Amino acid sequence: MKRNLRLKVLALILAAGATSAAQAYDGDWKRGRIYFRHVCTACHSAEVKKAIPPNERTKAEWAAYLQADKHNKGKDSVTKYFSKQYRDSIKSKNAAAAKFADVPENELLQDVKVFVNKGAKDGDAPAGCS
Amino acid sequence: MARIYIFKRFERFWHWAQAALIIFMLLTGFEIHGSYALLGWEKAADLHTTAAWTLIGLWLFAIFWHFTTGEWRQYIPTSKNIVAVMNYYSVGIFTGAPHPFRVSQLSKHNPLQRLAYLLVKLFINPLIWVSGLAYLYYNELAASKIAALSGISLGTIALAHTAAAFMMLAFLIGHLYLSTTGHTPLAHIKAMITGWEDVDADKPAAVPAK
Amino acid sequence: MRTGIFVVALLASMLLAPAVNAASEPVPAKLLKSTSDHTKFKALQQEFNSGPEVTKACLSCHTEAAKQLHQTEHWKWEYKNPQGQLLGKKTLINNFCISPASNEGACNSCHIGYGWKDDTFDFTSEVNVDCIVCHDTTGNYRKPAGLAGNVIAKTMEFPPGSGKIVKGINLKKIAQSVAKTSRDTCGACHFYGGGGDGVKHGDMDSSLAAPEKEVDVHMDALGLNFTCATCHMTKGHQVPGSRYAPTAQDKGAAHLRGKEYKTIPTTCQACHGQAPHKKIAKLNDHTDKVACQTCHIPAFARGGVPTKMSWDWSTAGKMGPDGKPLTIKDAKGHPIYMAIKGDFVLGEDVVPDYRWFNGTVTYTLRSDKVDKNNEPVQINRYEGSASDGKSLIWPVKIMRGKQPFDPVNKTLVVPHTAGNDDTAYWTNFNWDKAIAKGMATIGEPYSGKFDFISTESTWPITHMVAPAKNALRCRDCHASGGRLEKVPDIYIPGRGSDHARWLDTAGWAIAVLTLLGVLGHGLGRVILSKRNH
Repeated sequence: MKRNLRLKVLALILAAGATSAAQAYDGDWKRGRIYFRHVCTACHSAEVKKAIPPNERTKAEWAAYLQADKHNKGKDSVTKYFSKQYRDSIKSKNAAAAKFADVPENELLQDVKVFVNKGAKDGDAPAGCS
Repeated sequence: MARIYIFKRFERFWHWAQAALIIFMLLTGFEIHGSYALLGWEKAADLHTTAAWTLIGLWLFAIFWHFTTGEWRQYIPTSKNIVAVMNYYSVGIFTGAPHPFRVSQLSKHNPLQRLAYLLVKLFINPLIWVSGLAYLYYNELAASKIAALSGISLGTIALAHTAAAFMMLAFLIGHLYLSTTGHTPLAHIKAMITGWEDVDADKPAAVPAK
Repeated sequence: MRTGIFVVALLASMLLAPAVNAASEPVPAKLLKSTSDHTKFKALQQEFNSGPEVTKACLSCHTEAAKQLHQTEHWKWEYKNPQGQLLGKKTLINNFCISPASNEGACNSCHIGYGWKDDTFDFTSEVNVDCIVCHDTTGNYRKPAGLAGNVIAKTMEFPPGSGKIVKGINLKKIAQSVAKTSRDTCGACHFYGGGGDGVKHGDMDSSLAAPEKEVDVHMDALGLNFTCATCHMTKGHQVPGSRYAPTAQDKGAAHLRGKEYKTIPTTCQACHGQAPHKKIAKLNDHTDKVACQTCHIPAFARGGVPTKMSWDWSTAGKMGPDGKPLTIKDAKGHPIYMAIKGDFVLGEDVVPDYRWFNGTVTYTLRSDKVDKNNEPVQINRYEGSASDGKSLIWPVKIMRGKQPFDPVNKTLVVPHTAGNDDTAYWTNFNWDKAIAKGMATIGEPYSGKFDFISTESTWPITHMVAPAKNALRCRDCHASGGRLEKVPDIYIPGRGSDHARWLDTAGWAIAVLTLLGVLGHGLGRVILSKRNH
């Protein structure tokens, strides 16, 4: 019982640490722009023949999409495409994945979040594909 | 028929290497000139330059060889027999008359050959060398402090180089054909490969044209 | 108890683990490149209601900045070229939107100042210098057309009465995050010259904000990642490398740190030197005649953004079936006709034109005479020749236009296009009023008659340098009908028009005659030898 409590406390401490670390990082919209274009857009253009420019969605739509973390109609997650494993798997042919190979996943995700929020239809600087 | 050893090993090597290089340079050269597309301009220009340096190297050896062996004397022109040789090629060759010239080690070339080869060596070759090097080093030439050199346009250089190339082409055609005019069509060519020329043993060789 | 100890040990090990890691492989705090964090400056910890308020705060530390800016073309929009012509956006006419004069409210949103709405603008004002437009890093700074360079700090309806709500920008946040200039800040104006993305230059558009290597080998966002200022090395806010008097030929050495140079830092040679081709040295022999850009920028507008290649103002003013100003778009959704502007021809991946160019550009000024016997009028003329010793073959964009002029006074005219008033062409579609108003504003005579005249302007192509593997190949120029087919007075091996016809004709004739001669001779031998036998 005691042990459980201690573990819970530990988990809470760790979780709090993780969130505070994530909050401390503001996000770099320019790095987000590069990752969005060179990884998201590049693959969408090649595989699905349809890329989604940031300005095709509203801020709320982007936020909801990233929150839900469902990619390809729920077949996999959005975060998967920010993971180090994913970046490692494509870095031989994707310069952005190679350049950002060592960036923590949550930072990169935050970068792209900031970029799409800013580039959304109703964002501060609506952004197209290029 | 007897055989005499006319063309020494270096001479034969020089001749065939030069022949190959010249034919190759005509091919690439006229591509650079823009007459046709074969290898691609870039490759043609690159190989033309490489072949040029190879040929220059070969020529340096050949010149050295000619002077150290005294073979250069083979190209001293002579008027002796020249009319007879011209008569042979314009009339006698058709009627089956014998060639008025007899090949010997001291005199490998008939008077007409002497004249033709001398023209190649003293006029066409130098023109190609000088215009070709000027072509290659045009930037250095244009930057020269000597007005007479810096004033030459690339167009003029190219004109001289192209003119020399046309002369070389005409020579090549004539030369290739005349190589078939031995006692059999392949006799001269065989001699140029093996070094041994068949001569008519019955008749003494004509006095060396000297 | 044991489990308690275990848990404590676990906890300790988990807490210590990062420390142990840190000891063996220290993770340093992120190193700031700047020595100052602008969020910490008291002067910036306030709500700003206008641009000049921000500038005032900037100047409280950067005391000399505005004075430096006052000396720049970016501020003055004026430049006297070596021939003594007074150039600069303030007075020049082009064949895009024609002229900012009388249209300051719209056009001057790209001035690095606040409030240049007419000729009463105070060019000595320090707080009217716009620091942010070049130093923003948020990407959210906006200078909307119609406000003469001012910003919207509070959400409002704009233009007034339009029903459109424009959100105010957060000047405080923007001011607190300033840093060095970037491709985005320079691009905020220079990518959009001529009234839209990529319109004017062809070698500069929004694709350069974060370009791929193929678009610009130097700006490659994942590679060298140059900013504009990497080449346009700015000192004291003076930006080198203006197209009004470009350096067409740089014979200087590559610049080393610490050394003083007379040559400007923006040229290719300033970094690459005079003999940059290591693998194929013959290419270095081209640099006496050919600008680097000619081979290394195989095409412009390569980033997916089209550029305007021609603009015909004479067809402007058509209304659609709905009675509203007509707009026609191409398959990609780019306008090719707009009632307010006329017809456009757009181009992507455009092969440049090529000209001998020695760096001298002569402009047709507002006061210069033009007439229809000398069409197309050269808005600017690139001087140069094969023989002047100063020219190189340069790639250029030729912009073709048809624009209003005064057939009586024989001058190009400045129409008043943008504005909410009754005389603005974009509001009223009336050339008479628009030209009369424009000419009155600039104080030049106008006969009251107008016509349209064909014009050409020439723009240097010098950005969007491609990776070496995409540079031109030999055959692109060393051929008949190649890229340099129309460049005169130079012998290009492989270009048919340079050949001496007589030589080629005579040469091939002699070769063929020789061939026929020997064939005939050979045939004779064969026939006669058979007969003899």
